Amino acid sequence: MKRTLLLTTLLGSAAVAGAYKLPEQSLNSMALGAAYVAHTTEADTAYFNPANMAFMGDKQYFDGALTLIHLPSTTYTLIEPYSGESEEENIVTPTMHYVSNPIGNWRWGVSMTVPGGLTKRWDTAYQKLYAEEFTLKNVELNPVFSYKVNEKFAVGGGIRVVYSEGVVKSDGGDIAPLKRHMEGDTLEFGYNLAMTYRPTDDINIAVTYRSNIDLKEEGEANIWFGDVGKQYSADVTVPLPAALNIAISKTWDETFTLEFNYERTYWSSYKYLDFNYGEPLANDLLVEKFDDPIDKHWKDTNTFRIGATMVLNKITFMMGFALDETPVPDKTIGFELPDSDAKIFSMGFRYQQTEALSWGAAFLWDSKESRSLTPGVAENEVLSYGGSFDGGGAYLTTVGISYAF
Amino acid sequence: MERTVIRGVMVASLLWLSGCGSSDLSQPANETVIGGEVVVDLDGKSIKYSLLEQGVPGVDENTTVYGYKAYKIPYTTTDEEGNEVAVSGLMVIPTGVPDVVKQLGFSVVSDSHGTIFANKEAPTQIALDTSSPDGAPVILTSLTAFVTLQADYIGFGDSFGHYHPFVLKRSLANATVDFIEAARKFAADNNIPLNGQLFLTGYSEGGYAAMAALEKIEAEGSMQVTLAAPMAGPYALDAMAQGVLFSDTLGVPSFMADVAYAYANAYNRPLTELINEPYASKLPTLFDGLYTREEIDPELTTVTSGEDGLFTSAVVENYFNDPEYWFKEAMLDNDTYQWAPQTPVRLIHCQGDDVIPYAISELTEGTMQAMDAADVALVPVEATLAAYGMGDGSLLGHAECAAPAYGLTAQIFSGIREATIGY
Repeated sequence: MKRTLLLTTLLGSAAVAGAYKLPEQSLNSMALGAAYVAHTTEADTAYFNPANMAFMGDKQYFDGALTLIHLPSTTYTLIEPYSGESEEENIVTPTMHYVSNPIGNWRWGVSMTVPGGLTKRWDTAYQKLYAEEFTLKNVELNPVFSYKVNEKFAVGGGIRVVYSEGVVKSDGGDIAPLKRHMEGDTLEFGYNLAMTYRPTDDINIAVTYRSNIDLKEEGEANIWFGDVGKQYSADVTVPLPAALNIAISKTWDETFTLEFNYERTYWSSYKYLDFNYGEPLANDLLVEKFDDPIDKHWKDTNTFRIGATMVLNKITFMMGFALDETPVPDKTIGFELPDSDAKIFSMGFRYQQTEALSWGAAFLWDSKESRSLTPGVAENEVLSYGGSFDGGGAYLTTVGISYAF
Repeated sequence: MERTVIRGVMVASLLWLSGCGSSDLSQPANETVIGGEVVVDLDGKSIKYSLLEQGVPGVDENTTVYGYKAYKIPYTTTDEEGNEVAVSGLMVIPTGVPDVVKQLGFSVVSDSHGTIFANKEAPTQIALDTSSPDGAPVILTSLTAFVTLQADYIGFGDSFGHYHPFVLKRSLANATVDFIEAARKFAADNNIPLNGQLFLTGYSEGGYAAMAALEKIEAEGSMQVTLAAPMAGPYALDAMAQGVLFSDTLGVPSFMADVAYAYANAYNRPLTELINEPYASKLPTLFDGLYTREEIDPELTTVTSGEDGLFTSAVVENYFNDPEYWFKEAMLDNDTYQWAPQTPVRLIHCQGDDVIPYAISELTEGTMQAMDAADVALVPVEATLAAYGMGDGSLLGHAECAAPAYGLTAQIFSGIREATIGY
């Protein structure tokens, strides 16, 4: 099987929205905290609401951005020796979008994005057994189309082609003589749908839907008991969940736009983390730690976003705020993703250099709440003792360029 | 095809973006050795934790437990027919030992394993399948710092597919002695320090194999054995056979069926001379190394002989009435008790043994002493342990006796090693 190791610094991504989904995929969406569905203006429209392509100007659009994601460490606090601290991460993700000229009432576009991902690494004894490294890298190619039904209504949709790589490392170290290193990849397909209704010139109402994609990471797992390792064929499936966005925007004097966005993410499709191997693992201890399905039973989440855009001559200012629920219940929380509810703050600008060219920068802070665990609730052997997670979250800095011709 | 093309495009796009190469997840880099492979390597701390979790008697927080490193070693031996056979064995060494032990070198215990039927029960196969310590080497190596040798025997491990010469002394002795020689060479090639001291033991069929090995070693003068402590072995096969054939029922029919199967093969006789149909036709499949005793026994009958029995009526009649009957002569030919060892021998046996009667070891002790053996003594396990304050002297059956018998034997070997080697 083809096994591709990609530079984490380029294609890894991380949990910056609830769990491991990453909604922000361009300069504008970063600046607006992803409150960017009803009122979209650049080539990233192809990704966030392809129906809106129908209302764009009679030219081609290109948009590219680079985002630096800084993930501070997460601290788990209990009595020694159970406490631990995860590694800091710095990741760069590229995104690109293109929207074609209209062809009658039709139009097409394409996006290459990083729609989700996760990197969590622990180097402390008890945490390493569960997540010495847990990395999920995704890249999505999303060709889309739009159809203008009339001047007020358009629909769109596309095919989601997601290539994903997963790396899982677990190391019992001084706790247990077990170690695992799994690498897998997969290519999966899904779809997305969109519609926009413009009752007036300054109001947009939009609904978008991105389908669930189960990422079945298939590859090999090296598993050691003591100092003797064996290689197994292996796979594990994690979902890239479906998401429904309902958004409305209002623009005043072609200058100030406010957008409200509600997102429902269907994380309940994530029921188990279940590693499968081509043959039975060598002994009961390995089966218990590395083979038995791990309950997840995540819950669907709500995210509420608001974004504001102010166009001032050549400079456009943007800012956003969001309340983001975690899908991870106390019962099934784990070290690979100690997620919690978050508040998201964002801001950015775009400078119109020429009629065709604009560029800008954005910054987003994903502020995770501390999470205290009640003893006896979590299924994880260590987390069942209770304790708390602090820190985490993310700082994202994006620079981007757009070109219309 | 379409998915492959799209995947190729995606991967190419990613590589273009990342500028990075690709590679497969390489096989685990296990330690390489000359003439074998590492199949288990576990530190003493992990083994100690496991023993404490299991509540193994005599093991507590203060117990010294050494690491367990096992090698599968291929070698060649000779079968009953005189053919060379590629076989395998397990060599287990203690790790994490004090430097003084390494300087003085390891003493070796050749431990011949008990009766098995399935290849997955063979020492090297268990180690390969589980990567875990198993059985007697935990006592002999991790708790008492001996190097333990366990030949798989012909029919198991690398010679899977060959019939197993069950209680046939020549090939069992060959497999045992040839493995000792192969292990010594392996140790020399891989800088494992051995001090030359050798003990022999084994339980049940292994006790028989250990005695057969000692007889071969003394006959050939090829190596020096410090002490042999065979445990609960059927040394007097003729006496055992008489007892079984005289009984109306068989406690464990697979044992006697395997004797018949192995002897018919080794002596080139039709199996139907010994075993009634439909059992005779079943045995080649039942003893093909894929089935365990628990799977085999229900396929057989517990009636010893007669029309509905396992053995033909002719076997019983001939065995008791014809002194030249080939099966009786074969049993006598494979007895391992009618000789006079010049090596010290301790016959370890539980008085409550319900499979191999204690009387077999009494007979062996008496016979060997009568034949001027140098130093043969019978050690009743229950009474000896009770004398040391371990256990209440209650009688133990064949299966229950194995663990305490190994514990007692390990103590006997350790005492001699301490007196002679110094640790």
